[in-house]
Amino acid sequence: MVAYILRRVLYSIPVILIAALILLWGVRETFDPCAQFRTSRGGQASVERCRKADHLDEPITSQYWSWLTKAVQGDLGQSERTNADVGSTIATAMWYTIQLIFWGVLLSALLAIALGVYSAVRQYSVGDYILTTLSFIGLAMPPFWFGLIAIQFLAVGPKNWFGLDRTIFGFVGLHNGDSTGFDLDYVRHLVLPVLTLTVQSIAEWSRFQRASMLDVMSADYVRTARAKGVRRRDVLVKHALRNALIPLVTVMALDIGGLFGGVIITEKIFAIPGMGRLFLDSLQQGDAPMLVAWTVVTAVFVVLFNLIADILYGVLDPRIRLA
Amino acid sequence: MIRARRSLIALVALLAIVLAACGSSGGSKSAPKTSSTTGFGAAPSGTIVVGAEQDAACADWIDKCAASSWGAWMMQYQTMPRVFDYAKQGSDWVEVPNVAMAGMPTVTDVGGKQTVTYKISDAAIWSDGQPITSNDMKYTATQLASGKNVYDPTGYDQIESVATPDPKTAVVTFKKPFASWTQLFSADYGIQPSHLLEGKNRDQLMKNGYSWSGGPWIAKWNKGVSVTLTPNPKFYGTKPTVQKVIFKILADTAAQFQAFKAGELLAIYPQPEPSAIAAIKGGVPGTQAVYTADTANLEAVWMNNSRAPFDNKVVRQAVAYSIDRNAIVKRLFGDIGVEKPMQNLQPPINSRFADPNAWSQYTLNLDKVNSLMTGDGWKKDGSGVWAKGGKTASFTIESTAGNKRRELTEQILQQELQQAGFKMTIANKSADDLFGKILGAGTYQMTIYAQTATSLNPGLCAVACTSAIPTKANGQSGNNLSRISVPAADPLLATVDSNPDVQARITAGKQADRLLGDDQVSIPLDPLPNIVLWSDRIGGPVADNPVLSMFWNMNLWTLKG
Repeated sequence: MVAYILRRVLYSIPVILIAALILLWGVRETFDPCAQFRTSRGGQASVERCRKADHLDEPITSQYWSWLTKAVQGDLGQSERTNADVGSTIATAMWYTIQLIFWGVLLSALLAIALGVYSAVRQYSVGDYILTTLSFIGLAMPPFWFGLIAIQFLAVGPKNWFGLDRTIFGFVGLHNGDSTGFDLDYVRHLVLPVLTLTVQSIAEWSRFQRASMLDVMSADYVRTARAKGVRRRDVLVKHALRNALIPLVTVMALDIGGLFGGVIITEKIFAIPGMGRLFLDSLQQGDAPMLVAWTVVTAVFVVLFNLIADILYGVLDPRIRLA
Repeated sequence: MIRARRSLIALVALLAIVLAACGSSGGSKSAPKTSSTTGFGAAPSGTIVVGAEQDAACADWIDKCAASSWGAWMMQYQTMPRVFDYAKQGSDWVEVPNVAMAGMPTVTDVGGKQTVTYKISDAAIWSDGQPITSNDMKYTATQLASGKNVYDPTGYDQIESVATPDPKTAVVTFKKPFASWTQLFSADYGIQPSHLLEGKNRDQLMKNGYSWSGGPWIAKWNKGVSVTLTPNPKFYGTKPTVQKVIFKILADTAAQFQAFKAGELLAIYPQPEPSAIAAIKGGVPGTQAVYTADTANLEAVWMNNSRAPFDNKVVRQAVAYSIDRNAIVKRLFGDIGVEKPMQNLQPPINSRFADPNAWSQYTLNLDKVNSLMTGDGWKKDGSGVWAKGGKTASFTIESTAGNKRRELTEQILQQELQQAGFKMTIANKSADDLFGKILGAGTYQMTIYAQTATSLNPGLCAVACTSAIPTKANGQSGNNLSRISVPAADPLLATVDSNPDVQARITAGKQADRLLGDDQVSIPLDPLPNIVLWSDRIGGPVADNPVLSMFWNMNLWTLKG
C-alpha cells in the first residue's frame, strides 16, 4: 500500500510540473497583462514599466524557472493583477470553496443515498419513476440557469408575492453585512449556492446509488440473509447498503477532487470569492502567477482525491489489493 | 416518536428562517435614526449596502495594480484627501477646491517658471489626529516622480521642486509650463500621509488595505467580498450620517439587478451594457434612477489615418456621411433617454475645450457620399462596392471581442455602410491583442474603443498631434493611435496641453476641433452614459460625478425607514 501511494505521488509530480509550464506558456501567449495601459495617459511608457516590473521581457523558460525555484521554497509569487501574495490569496479563496463543497457534498451524499436506496427498494414504483424523472431533469439542468432560477423563485419571488421585508434566502455572498460567523444569516446565504452546486451531484449520485443497490440486492449473500430470517431493515442497511456504498464513495471522491476547481458558475452567480471566481478573475486579466499556482493547487487536490478513491476502494473491499 | 421529533425540528428551523426574513434589512438599523445632515452631536445610524461590479485589485493607489475604477470609487476617493473636487458650473465641469484645501491654488510665474501654491486647510487632519501637511504633498510628488511600483508619473515628472515654507503651504515649481497641473494631487492619486509612509515600503503598507484616512470614511477591505466604510470620527468636513456603507462585490449583472430589486442592495452603478439596459427597461419599482450623458467617456469609431482606405480624407468623410449616428446611439441607449451622438472627439466633461458642432455636419447623406466618392474617381463595381484603381473600398473593423455593445454597433455600421457602397468586415480581437499589439503597431484599419478622461484637462496633443504618432523613432511610445496628421492643428493642440492660460486653451481647443472635424479624422459616437440607481430608502443629494462616480458624496446620504 505504501509503495503504491509513493509510486502514485512520484508519477504525479512531473505531470503537474509539465502542466504548470504549459499553462504559463499558454497564458503568456494569450494574454498581455500590461496591454490595458496602452491607451492610458502614460501610453507605451506605462506598458514598458509594467512589463519590466512583471518580468515579461524575459524568456518563458526563465520565467518558469524563477517561479519554480521560489515555489519549492513555499513562495508562490505575487499576483500581477493585485500584487498580493499568491499563496495567501489562494488559501483565502480555498476556504470559501471548502465551505461550499463541504455542505454541498454532505447534502448531496445524504440525499443521493436516501433517494438511490428508495428507488432501488421501490423499483418501478410511482416514486421510483418520479425520482428518475427528477434525476434526469437535474442532470440536464445547467447550473448557471438553475442558480438564476433559484434566485428568482426562492428568493426574489416570495419576497414580492408575500410582501416580506426581505428575501428568505440571501444570494449575495455568504453574509448580509460584513459579519463572518456561523449564524442564521450564514445559513440563509448558504442555501441557494449549495442547492445550485448539488442539483447535478444529487441527480448523478442517486442514479449511481440506485444501480449499485440493485446490483447488490440481487447478490447471493443478500438472498441468503433474507432466507435466514434477518430483518428486512438489517438486510438493507447492514448487508446491501454497506456494500452498495463502495463504488459510490469512490465516485464521490473523484467528483470532490474536481469540485475544488469547478465551482466557477456557482461562485460567480452568488458572488462568493472562492477558487472558481479567483480562476475567472485571474484568467480575464492574464494573471500568470496566480493561474499557474491555482492549477498546481487544483491538480494536487485532484491527484489527492483520486488517490483517496483508489485507497478507499481497497480499504472498503478486502478483495481489492493495490499493487 | 423519533420521526415526529425530527419533523418538529425541521419545522422549527424552517419557521426560524421565515421569521428572520420578516425582519427588515438591505439597510439595517442598529442605532436610533437621526436626521442631522452634519452629523455633529448625532450618532450615525443605519447601513447602506451597495453593489460593486468589480473588486479593487489593490489599495496602493500609486501602483499599476490600482488602475481600477471601482477601487478608486470604493476606497481611494473615500479616504484620500485631494486638492480638487469637480462641480458643474453652468454647462461646464470645473475644478473646485476640496474641503482639505483652504482655497483655490494660485498660479504664478516665479523667475520664468510656473509655480503653483497650495494652501491646506488648518482643520484638515488624518484619522490619527496628525495634520495634513505640505510635507504630505511633497512626499506624494516624490513617490510618483521617482518611487517604486509607480503606475504613471505623468505630470509629476514635470515637477522641479516642492517647497514647504510652512506646514500648510506647498509651493510646486514646474520644469516648464504644465497646463494640466490641476490633475495633480487629486483624482489621480490624492495626497499620501508622509508621517505614516515616509521611509517605509509604501506598497507593502497599503496594497492590502489600510486603516487610516484623510477623508470622510475609514475603509475595511475584505478581499473579494466587500469593502466596509465607517465614518472617520476625525473628518474635518461634513461627517457621514449613516453608520456603515458596505460595497458587496457582485460581478454578474443579472444577479446584481435581482439583488437590487430584492432590496439586498440599495444602490448600484452598472455599466451601460445591453444586459443592464434591458434589466432597467423591465422596471425596478421602489427606486430612483439617473441616466446621464455628462461623463468622462467617449466611445468613437477610430480610423487609422495612415492606412488605406482611410489615408484618403475623401473616403473618411464619405464613410462619416454613410452612418446615421443618431440611430446608433438611440439603438444603444434610447431606452435610458440618451439619444444624441457626440459631435467632437472629447468626452463631455471637457466640453468647454471642444467645439460642440465640429462633427455635426456628418449625418446620413447618401447623395453626399456619392458626390464625394465619384468626385474622387471612385465607381461602384458589380457588387455595389466603391472601387478605384483596382482596389475596393473594403476594410476590416477590429474591436474588443465579447463586448456586446460594440458588437451591436458594428452590426449596425456594417448594414449602413453596405448601403452606401462600403464593405466592412468584422474581425474582433481580445483586448490584450488589440491594445497590446494592434493599435500600437498600427496594423488595423478601423476600430471602436472608449477613451476615459481622468481629469478636466483634455491632453489633446497626446492623442492627436503628429508628433505623438507611434514610430520607431519615438520607440512606439506615442499615443496618437489613429495616426491623425493635421499639421495645422498641431500648434493649437500643443497650446491646449501646455498654455497655463485657460482661455487661450479653450480658444485653441475649439479651433483644433474644427480642423479635426473638417479632416474627419475619426467618428465620435457616444458618451457611454453613466447609470445611477438607488432605492427610495436612500435620501440626500445622490448624484453622479463623471470623475468621482455616484459615491463621491456618500457622507451626505441618509437612510430612511
